Amino acid sequence: MSAASGSAGKLIQVEDITRVFHVGGEEVRALRGVSFGIGRGEWVAIIGQSGSGKSTMMNVLGCLDTPSSGRYMLNGKDVSRMSDDELAVIRNVEIGFIFQTFQLLPKETALANVELPLVYRGMAARERRERAKAALDKVQLTHRMHHRPNELSGGQRQRVAIARALVSEPSMLLADEPTGNLDSATGEEIVRLFEQLHQAGHTLVLVTHEPKLAARCPRAIRLSDGQIVADGNGREVAMGTASDVLNVGGA
Amino acid sequence: MRAFLDNLRLALGTFLGNPLRSLLTLLGIVIGVATVITMMGLIEGLRIKVNNDMGRMGAHTFQVTKWPAGGFGRINWAKYAKRQDFEMPDSRAIEESCPSVGTVVPTDDEGGQKLSTPSAETRPSVRVFGTPANYPLVSGVSVQVGRYFNDVEALDGRHVVLLGTDVADALFPGMNPVGHEVRIKGRPFRVIGLLQKRGSMLGMFSMDNQVMIPLRAFHQLYGKARSLDISVQAKDPALFKKAQDEVSALMRRRRDVPANMPNDFEIHTNESVTASFNQLSNVITIAGVGVCLLSLVVGGIGILNIMLVSVMERTREIGVRKALGARKRRILGQFATEAILLALLGGAIGVGMGFGLVFLGNWMLGFPMHVPPWVVGLALFMSCGVGLLFGIYPAAQAAKLDPVEAMRAD
Repeated sequence: MSAASGSAGKLIQVEDITRVFHVGGEEVRALRGVSFGIGRGEWVAIIGQSGSGKSTMMNVLGCLDTPSSGRYMLNGKDVSRMSDDELAVIRNVEIGFIFQTFQLLPKETALANVELPLVYRGMAARERRERAKAALDKVQLTHRMHHRPNELSGGQRQRVAIARALVSEPSMLLADEPTGNLDSATGEEIVRLFEQLHQAGHTLVLVTHEPKLAARCPRAIRLSDGQIVADGNGREVAMGTASDVLNVGGA
Repeated sequence: MRAFLDNLRLALGTFLGNPLRSLLTLLGIVIGVATVITMMGLIEGLRIKVNNDMGRMGAHTFQVTKWPAGGFGRINWAKYAKRQDFEMPDSRAIEESCPSVGTVVPTDDEGGQKLSTPSAETRPSVRVFGTPANYPLVSGVSVQVGRYFNDVEALDGRHVVLLGTDVADALFPGMNPVGHEVRIKGRPFRVIGLLQKRGSMLGMFSMDNQVMIPLRAFHQLYGKARSLDISVQAKDPALFKKAQDEVSALMRRRRDVPANMPNDFEIHTNESVTASFNQLSNVITIAGVGVCLLSLVVGGIGILNIMLVSVMERTREIGVRKALGARKRRILGQFATEAILLALLGGAIGVGMGFGLVFLGNWMLGFPMHVPPWVVGLALFMSCGVGLLFGIYPAAQAAKLDPVEAMRAD
């Protein structure tokens, strides 16, 4: 389980992935042959401007979308050709999602929201309640578990979402602009939480357009125009923005 | 099962989150089910009453008549008027040549009569029956006070009369009428008995607004150029059918009915009268089910509409659920359960309302009403069916949403 880029035994192995959309008869190539690997326990940022293909990448990594070509191995399973329902199971078991807009169910309590992934695993009510409480404890929100999302602050909501991602003990946490809707202090709080989760051994993939956030990650992958233009130490990739863009422009 | 319970909980939550909207949506189903419950309650109540009333007519007895009984269809009276009348010799012939027949009782009756005493009179709505002395044997009539007339009085055509309770109440309120004199068509009759109260037929027309006089006296009052109704009792219940066949064959011979023609007379049994009522009630039942189906369809469209709105409003929720691992079938199940629960709730409210109306009808109008359990079952089952039928399309729409797109909705 080395952190560096090898090919075998990785948690995530992406090989020459493309994703082509057909919009009004026009072909949009959102991903144009992307390959990388992410090992267990890594914390990786995927960074890029809007239109760089990072959202598409996030959807493919999250098994919310399937690549047009190429192969995506997740935890030893080829998920690139799976059906919708098979992907639903993979999402439920392997991936913990953290969204920019939290995506909590507004009418359910924090506890019920955290229980949700376990509901779709067919777990008994009592057990999933226990697990959801434990997950809320990890994000220090046990005292708010019977509150609905609109009774929680933005930071608290995102912590509920993180608890929901943790509760199913997934192979990776996949966060999409997790601080995008938070003020900087609260955002910092969430990043600290990510640091703790990383130290506890969780695999974290963080999709963002913010160099400052990417710089906090040990590793960052920069996408531009559907291709990888940089992959390395988070701070270096995040700061090297200008030269990378120039490189692509010259290529 | 666990998935089902979760779906049920979700569906209940949705309903409780928006009770007014849900109730309005359900109105169609509520009205449909309430209508069918009330209607079936009325029909079934009448059916039970008819069967009870018919039971009072006398055991293993049938009637031979010129006219068809009531009937609920269009009747060509002119056609029946041409038929030959039944007369006393017909009655005697049955008695003499039909071995399975026990008692033969020729009767005649005239409605719309007025009875009077020097101090009181009835409304002109009394039915006067002319009968032989053995009439109580073949009818539900029995004597409460006094006695029925005997053979001598019957053969002589004595002016004696037995009063139904309605008539007695009108002419002799709070008194024993026996021994007093009443006038029928201006002729004096001595009251020798009071009939047992029989109640009303079908809850509508009273069977106590009638009087009995000897047939011979009846003929003196109303003339003989009339057709008799001949009540026939079989010797034994087992011979009931055989007696009917014998009488029928005899009458065909006497009336020269060619072998290839149908009877030119009617044979009524309790069963045949009940059957014609049942036939009517079946027609109403089918019509009722039709009305119910129609309003269920209207209700179903309401459900279709509300479910489409619900799916649209909750697109984001569906997206989140799918992202977190809900399979298509699960989302389909969630929304289908919601639609069915909604419809079932409407059905239940409708059943409640129907029972309320049945109770009111019973209590305020005195209609005999009885809701058979199968109607409740059927109504609820059909409600479920409507929920499923009209809920499945919105549910399928929800199930096939793309999670990424759906989560972007607002």
